[in-house]
Amino acid sequence: MIRTEDKQGRSRCTLCPATCEVQVAPKGPDTWRSEYPLENAGGVCPRGSSLAELLSCRSRILEPARRVSGRWVPCDFQSACREVIRSAAGKGVTILLDGNVAVEQLTAAAAWCMAWDAASLCLVGEPSEEQLLLGLEGSGAKYLDNDGLSTCDGFVVVGDAFSANPTCASAVFDRRASEPATPLVAIDPAAGKVSKFATHRIDTLPGMELATLAALIRAAGAEADVPTTAFCRDEISVAPSAKAAGTAIADCSRLGVLIVAEYGRCNAWRQIGFLAGRLAEARGGGTAPQTNGANALAAVRLARKLGGISLASALSADDTVRVAVGCDVLGMLGLQQPVIAAAAAGLSNVTTDSAQVVLPVAMPGEIGGTYLSAGARTLNVEPALSAPAGVCGPAQVVAELARAAGVAAPVGVAEELAGDPLGQAEPGPAPAWSDPAPLVLLLGRQAIHAGCGELTSHGSWQRALQPEAELRMSPRDADAAGIGNLAFVTVRVGDAAVRARVRFAPELAPGVMVLPEGISVARRLIPSTIDSDNDTLTATPVAAEVIVGE
Amino acid sequence: MNEIHNAPRDAQAQRRVVEKRVLIDLDRCIECQSCAAACYFSHANMPALSSARSGVALLPVVCRQCKSASCVETCPVEAMVRDENGVVRRRLFRCIGCGSCARACPFGVLPNAPTGVPAGYRSTDRLSGHQIAKCDLCADRDINDGDVPRCVAACPSGALLFADEHEAAKARLTVLGGRTTGEHPYKRR
Repeated sequence: MIRTEDKQGRSRCTLCPATCEVQVAPKGPDTWRSEYPLENAGGVCPRGSSLAELLSCRSRILEPARRVSGRWVPCDFQSACREVIRSAAGKGVTILLDGNVAVEQLTAAAAWCMAWDAASLCLVGEPSEEQLLLGLEGSGAKYLDNDGLSTCDGFVVVGDAFSANPTCASAVFDRRASEPATPLVAIDPAAGKVSKFATHRIDTLPGMELATLAALIRAAGAEADVPTTAFCRDEISVAPSAKAAGTAIADCSRLGVLIVAEYGRCNAWRQIGFLAGRLAEARGGGTAPQTNGANALAAVRLARKLGGISLASALSADDTVRVAVGCDVLGMLGLQQPVIAAAAAGLSNVTTDSAQVVLPVAMPGEIGGTYLSAGARTLNVEPALSAPAGVCGPAQVVAELARAAGVAAPVGVAEELAGDPLGQAEPGPAPAWSDPAPLVLLLGRQAIHAGCGELTSHGSWQRALQPEAELRMSPRDADAAGIGNLAFVTVRVGDAAVRARVRFAPELAPGVMVLPEGISVARRLIPSTIDSDNDTLTATPVAAEVIVGE
Repeated sequence: MNEIHNAPRDAQAQRRVVEKRVLIDLDRCIECQSCAAACYFSHANMPALSSARSGVALLPVVCRQCKSASCVETCPVEAMVRDENGVVRRRLFRCIGCGSCARACPFGVLPNAPTGVPAGYRSTDRLSGHQIAKCDLCADRDINDGDVPRCVAACPSGALLFADEHEAAKARLTVLGGRTTGEHPYKRR
């Protein structure tokens, strides 16, 4: 008999760059909860709290299945793999692998794909985050963790970093507690949590983050070090709020720049990352990108060094069979096409719902002996729980597919690849931004969503707290449309619609409304589009219609 | 009253009385609701900590563990008691879900929906679905030996503190209204 204490596990939450330590403890005979080790400096936010619940979820995919006449029929792993390979007869196979799994898994999967002539590997991450990280890599700026942030004498925050990674708020507040005059400049058209605490909030409109950052750089007198006009096609007008903010950070000797590349915000993340990195360098500080998963930077570095194909290419290629491993690629991009032939996932999602073959896969919290390359740090990750019987990791899923295609075991790829910065060239100028529509829909990150939302799982906590999506709206816009606070509405963009509950947000600029980023139905309102010229995917704010009571 | 209410008699017991309270620093709360999530997962999906709107802020509402607790006085079945550590607890199988404590609480901390628990927080457990959720400062943690309640341990921004007034003063914080410190939610400093 296994003693209860033997079942407890310690691990790290991999759902954001904070990588908090978590302890998983038994709650009942077959359910688990995340606990909080005493030495945990950062705490565990709702996503970390939900981690154990994800691992022991009752709707876990435990056996392979294939779709026959619209119904799921269970099958064994090898025959499911053979079915995928059969469907790829004469075509290539594109492996869409979750970029946020541990580096060992990424390199092992890459080795199999290199040995497999017909296969192409794409490491999947949020496209906006990928562009941001490429810009930061090109700037040569240092990456700061929370300890590094707490020594900064000024902060510039693009987007809602406190919601993306609640633990970074502690570092900022600690610094401000010891030095109350520390400036905190917020650039966020969605007026998230950071805006509420900012000493300086720069007035900006959706899609204008790059021009606003450029105006701040100009107002701070840093343009000699950080030339802005080469990257920004929009007119850079230094508003009074930007001028005051620029003056506040002008004398900083260690500036911390926190950035969140939220989905559906703008089309210039690479330029923003580059300018933000250069600004931080010029002021003796560093940057802290707050990504959806802890391993986004390692995935971007690995994808470039291993010669993987881009997500845009993977989705636009015609003569290929796509296999998604560990990622909800359609949900993440708000798409219903292209066809995904097979999807390996821990829990059902938008991608598995559309696939012809479904395979079970272990989740990062169940894979032992792995490590993450989180920013400048490398972290060991022990498994919180062991994977269910017969369920293997993402690299093993790729290996089984390759074996089914007759590929011999490959030589490994060096794991150290992930650790070196990329020597990225300066980005070109960003596309110009058109004037925003009268009522623009943005998506904003919420601490309670990412990691325990519909995109990645089915957290009971999220359903209890927010049974319906929350639409943040300026009271002025709501009054004009005859909408009361807490009213149920339908947000419609074209054929896609989301039912939501209105929450008045006086801090929002009129003409802007915000839905949570972490639910795939909201992302469907702002689907990503493939930019063939730049080989990227972009999602930008859209005009939306709000209908009361539907 | 019952024996638990009158328990702290000897000097040893007196020393174990919990003087600390869960305080919220208004200047640090980022509304991530990690505290409520921690309470939810550790109290059988029936959290005693909820969130309430205060102007533009969404702040956690935590029991103050009043020295003269109205909820204890009004409970008709002695389900609400002060234990040997001075913590006001709800005794699970005595609670009949009448809601007297919720109505008596002068701070509106206890849930006051008709069924005893706000809709969002109603337990799905058939045995406890009707009962009032009550903060017990995480009874399974040893808060007398330096441990802190889960809501405090989970707070990523340092907004929740488990401290008495002297400790708060040492940290240059002024305790306002028995539970809060800081200036104002979202006041720009």
